[in-house]
Amino acid sequence: MRTRLLAVASLASMLLAGTAYAEPVSLTLWHMEQPPHRVQRMQELLDEFNKAHPGVQVKQEPQSWGEVYAKAPAAFAAGNGPDMLFTIPDFTTLIKGIDALVPVDDLAKDLEAKHGFVPATIAPYQYDGHTWAIPAYNMAISMWYRNSALKAAGIEVPKTWSEWKAAAEKLSADGKYGIGLPANKQLYTDQTVYSFMVNSGAADIYNEDGSIAFDKPQTVEAYQTYADLQKLSPPDSTSWTWGEAEACFASASCGTILQFSVINTYETQAEADPADLGVAPVPHADNQSDSATISYSNAIMLTTKDEAKQAGAKVFLAWLLEPQNYGRFLTMEPGLFLPVTNDGAKAESFWSDPIVTKYKSQVETMVANSQTGKLFGFTTGKVFPSIGAISGQNVIAETLQKIVVDGQSAADAVKAGQARMSEIAAK
Amino acid sequence: MKRTLPQSLALYAGLAVIVLLIGLPFWWVMSGSIKLPREIISRVPTMVPQSFTLQHFEKLLQSTDFPAYLVNSLLVALFSTVFTIALALPTAYAFFRMKFPGRAALYRLILVAYAFPTVVVLIPIYGLFARFGLIDTRASLVIVNIAFALPFSIWMMRSFLASVPRDIEEAAIVDGAPPRVILLRIMAPLIAPGIASVAIFTFIASWTEYLFASVLIVSDARRTIPVGFAGIIGQYQIDWGLLLAGATLATIPVVILFAFVGRWFVTGLTEGAVK
Repeated sequence: MRTRLLAVASLASMLLAGTAYAEPVSLTLWHMEQPPHRVQRMQELLDEFNKAHPGVQVKQEPQSWGEVYAKAPAAFAAGNGPDMLFTIPDFTTLIKGIDALVPVDDLAKDLEAKHGFVPATIAPYQYDGHTWAIPAYNMAISMWYRNSALKAAGIEVPKTWSEWKAAAEKLSADGKYGIGLPANKQLYTDQTVYSFMVNSGAADIYNEDGSIAFDKPQTVEAYQTYADLQKLSPPDSTSWTWGEAEACFASASCGTILQFSVINTYETQAEADPADLGVAPVPHADNQSDSATISYSNAIMLTTKDEAKQAGAKVFLAWLLEPQNYGRFLTMEPGLFLPVTNDGAKAESFWSDPIVTKYKSQVETMVANSQTGKLFGFTTGKVFPSIGAISGQNVIAETLQKIVVDGQSAADAVKAGQARMSEIAAK
Repeated sequence: MKRTLPQSLALYAGLAVIVLLIGLPFWWVMSGSIKLPREIISRVPTMVPQSFTLQHFEKLLQSTDFPAYLVNSLLVALFSTVFTIALALPTAYAFFRMKFPGRAALYRLILVAYAFPTVVVLIPIYGLFARFGLIDTRASLVIVNIAFALPFSIWMMRSFLASVPRDIEEAAIVDGAPPRVILLRIMAPLIAPGIASVAIFTFIASWTEYLFASVLIVSDARRTIPVGFAGIIGQYQIDWGLLLAGATLATIPVVILFAFVGRWFVTGLTEGAVK
């Protein structure tokens, strides 16, 4: 064992030094950042890394979230899966379940010591005694509004649910909608509903023993408030995904929306004043004191059993999180991808991006909001495999539809949601 | 019989409704692709564009791999169509005319291919193709498309063969024509509408196929339009102008196929075949 560790350490040293005594280690990276500008930025970074590290050559193969849940297991089963794979927490449980995943405990420890991870970003990947992926970027939902619209209506930025409802009612005038909340059976609705749940003290959907803890008064309160506010949304919001909500906001038809970011659309499609764009934490229940939100920490998994490749991949991941490189990685989608490390949040390479500079105050608020992020199924320090199916079948959104579309009471819908989750967990 | 005025009005009103139902979505997409972003995202829709720009097409063709996706889709769809017809025609003729043991059972059995949801065979096909080094090749998509289009195409072709009068075939037999000649020189021209139907069915099925194209193709350079385009559009942030421009360009080859194949094959095919 000791000999093996020494061998790996030696190889890693060689790779770090950029020596090329042997054939370079070739690594394939699958990521789901498929829009062309993201692929281009990733290629620029890879070219730079490959040039500086002749012993490790990384190539990218962009995939999409829609297909990777089927494609990755098939590829691993056929023996031609990638060496590194982007992930979100529930996808990690799937890849771990097919034994294609390698823990990254040592690397995570080193990077934690060097850069300091935002706790909310690494926690969803730490369970069963290991760290299963290295966080790469964070996304957190915030409340977006226009300063001019609030000022014209004579209202302050809402902090609580009752203030939010009053604001939305006031903003609902002249054919405009005070709020835009989705009620589709889709991931976006899962995310917005959970943004209410974390703000009423209903963040945990599992008990310690893995049983479902969904049906509780705080959850019912969150659903009831969401359904009440949803009535002030456009009638087509029952079929919305992220893009429709953003378009509603960008066209100044929706007064407030919950979204990861609207900066790109606001900049390129709304052509409005950056100073008019407002962002704030998601309002909380009146009986709570602080706001929280849902956050998705996207991470990178090691999926190769080859020790030389593992060492090469670790060199690449360490290089990527260096502040001078990391900011350029994050700004492949400026104003959407947020730092997962403390020194990444201060990196000049991040804040010098033209869009980030233009919307600096908004990005600062987004970064602050992301610190309070939680994700359903990953809040108790224990992870249960059924969260993949609960998330995949959009049970949280389905529960909302029982209220908004089927007309059930919030209590009955949440009770049915509890039964549905328990049924999935029992399989 | 001459139509009365009310009948004519009802007919034209019916036609107008059908044209609107079919044409409106196309008009919506195509007119939207030349609008400025602000007009596209406006909640008050404009049926006639109030602005004009080609920026979405410029971005699509210059900043993305859409042209490569278009070429890939054309290659995959054309090869799938040609090979499907080449295989379906003799197979249907064999089922229709030739006598061999188990013919009737086999003919019914080929439709079993549609009994399974495609996703069920996805993983086994991936494993099989990986073994033969076909992953990330356009050939893999052609094979899959043929496999799924062929059973229905055989059934469709056989129905068309059955509609050809027996007298024509018997005349060719009397003249000493072998089965190959009868099929290619006599029957194929007579069932050209059937061949056109199979061509259109296979081309569109291949053109829009998403599941296998998304899983069997790994590299960006070999992606087809449905998969590549989904990536261009993104998940959280949608560039609506880009989406509409891409949708407009993606429909053009199919429209051309309908216009070209429909006219070429269908006009007066069986005229004068039997006196």
